[in-house]
Amino acid sequence: MENKKSSSPAGFIDSTVVPGDVVLDLSSMTNQTIKIGGGLRQDCDAISVMKAGTLRFSKPNKYWVESSQKRYVPCVEDTVLGIVVDSKADNFLIDIKGPALAFLPVLAFEGGTRRNIPKFEVGTLLYLRVVKANFGMNPELSCTDVSGKAAEFGPLKDGYMFEISTGLSRKLLSSPTCPILEALGKKLSFEIAIGLNGRVWVNATSPDIIVIVANAIMKSESLSTAQQIIMVEHLLKNIQ
Amino acid sequence: MEGRISNAWRLTVNDKNFIKTALLSEIRIDGRKPFEYRKISIKFDRGDGSSEVQIGQTRVMGIVTAQLIQPYKDRPKEGTLSIFTEFSPMADPSFEPGRPGELAVELGRIIDRGLRESRAVDTESLCILAGKYVWAIRIDLHILDNGGNLVDAANIAALAALLTYLRPECSLGGEDGQEVIVHPPEIREPLPLTVHHLPIAITFGFFGNEGILLIDPTHNEEAVMGGRMTMTVNANGDICAIQKGGGEGVPQRVIMKCLQLATSKAASITKQIKDAVEAFNTERALRKIKRHPTSTGVDVRQKQNQ
Repeated sequence: MENKKSSSPAGFIDSTVVPGDVVLDLSSMTNQTIKIGGGLRQDCDAISVMKAGTLRFSKPNKYWVESSQKRYVPCVEDTVLGIVVDSKADNFLIDIKGPALAFLPVLAFEGGTRRNIPKFEVGTLLYLRVVKANFGMNPELSCTDVSGKAAEFGPLKDGYMFEISTGLSRKLLSSPTCPILEALGKKLSFEIAIGLNGRVWVNATSPDIIVIVANAIMKSESLSTAQQIIMVEHLLKNIQ
Repeated sequence: MEGRISNAWRLTVNDKNFIKTALLSEIRIDGRKPFEYRKISIKFDRGDGSSEVQIGQTRVMGIVTAQLIQPYKDRPKEGTLSIFTEFSPMADPSFEPGRPGELAVELGRIIDRGLRESRAVDTESLCILAGKYVWAIRIDLHILDNGGNLVDAANIAALAALLTYLRPECSLGGEDGQEVIVHPPEIREPLPLTVHHLPIAITFGFFGNEGILLIDPTHNEEAVMGGRMTMTVNANGDICAIQKGGGEGVPQRVIMKCLQLATSKAASITKQIKDAVEAFNTERALRKIKRHPTSTGVDVRQKQNQ
């Protein structure tokens, strides 16, 4: 299991990779399951890079490439925010900022049957999970988690949605809590839903809190931790 | 077909309601007050007669060129001014290449009316030989990024480009004085255009319930607002043009209020344009000073700053 002697995976982890780099040679690793995330592709025995970015590894065995763009490439098990574009007999057509519209099967809800199909009007914002994301096909989504429970997925009411880059949305979802969210959460109370496709939804009791949170997050991308905290203090002083 | 649909920009039901509710408490989604303009930046990176204006996220580039043509038969002593707009598809997913859409034509007309009807540019000084040769000034406006309020940005770009454009000097020659010789810029200094005043376009957005009014709408606000109106005024308080394109009706007192707001905003924007043009002219003049390589460097620039 300790495969550190093959230098290729360890050498590439946390460093910049470009399309074409071969980061893993499966012929030298036997009896192991490797999970491949976004940006990597399996060509017979070699795992090669498809998207430029930083290669990341998380125990026990997941590899993926992280990069930040305005557009989103759908990846399985990502949680995204989608907007309903149309509804057909079997699926809802959802826009998730990807290359193609995604399908949300009409029955992919907790306790969903043909008799209680939800009615979403065009423009409804939904919090969803990506189930299938194959190259060249429309991705498939679901409003339940893996075990079939609703678990916070579904339509989001009120609030305000804005768009950011995919890298920033990953930073916001990382643990320990991202500094900007921590600084904002200390003083304001709000509800937030972050999609890995670069969409964020914020809700609070009064509109000025929503506006402050939204603008603070949008501006925080290029700032360092200390600068983010200073910016939040500055914004909060203006309303109090 | 599906690929193109997925590229369109969409507004959620949540956003529509939020923009309207927030406006009831006089809050806009980018933190501005209802009568506050976004930051305007005017740059002249591409030389004389071209400007790039940025209002928030909206970017427009204006280019001025001139050509010698025969004047119209009913105006033999006047030059012409024409405006062409190009809505590049990189500005907005809904812009298509090819024939200009409704919005492009309306934008061109508003700016054209503001400049032509108010006689901001002196067309009589563009005449070289009455009935035979006049200068035709052509303004090309390229929309680079649509962040809302294209009209105002395009108008500022047109004005900034006109103020920094230099046309070649020409004189009459030939045996009978009927030939026009156009001098290249290296031989004779090119001349600026005569612009009498600066008509500034200010766009207002109306939201039906409670009669909410705001200035300089962003892209999201434009998608939600019920009506729009553009007023072209100059710093002297003259109204050059007003355009209200469809949408909901507004009472007369709202229009008068808009006029007052427009006049005050026009004054500050005029000052900003003039400052930017002056900075560019100073820089251009400094570039032309020929320095002797062996002189002990009296730095003219430093002296000016002192």
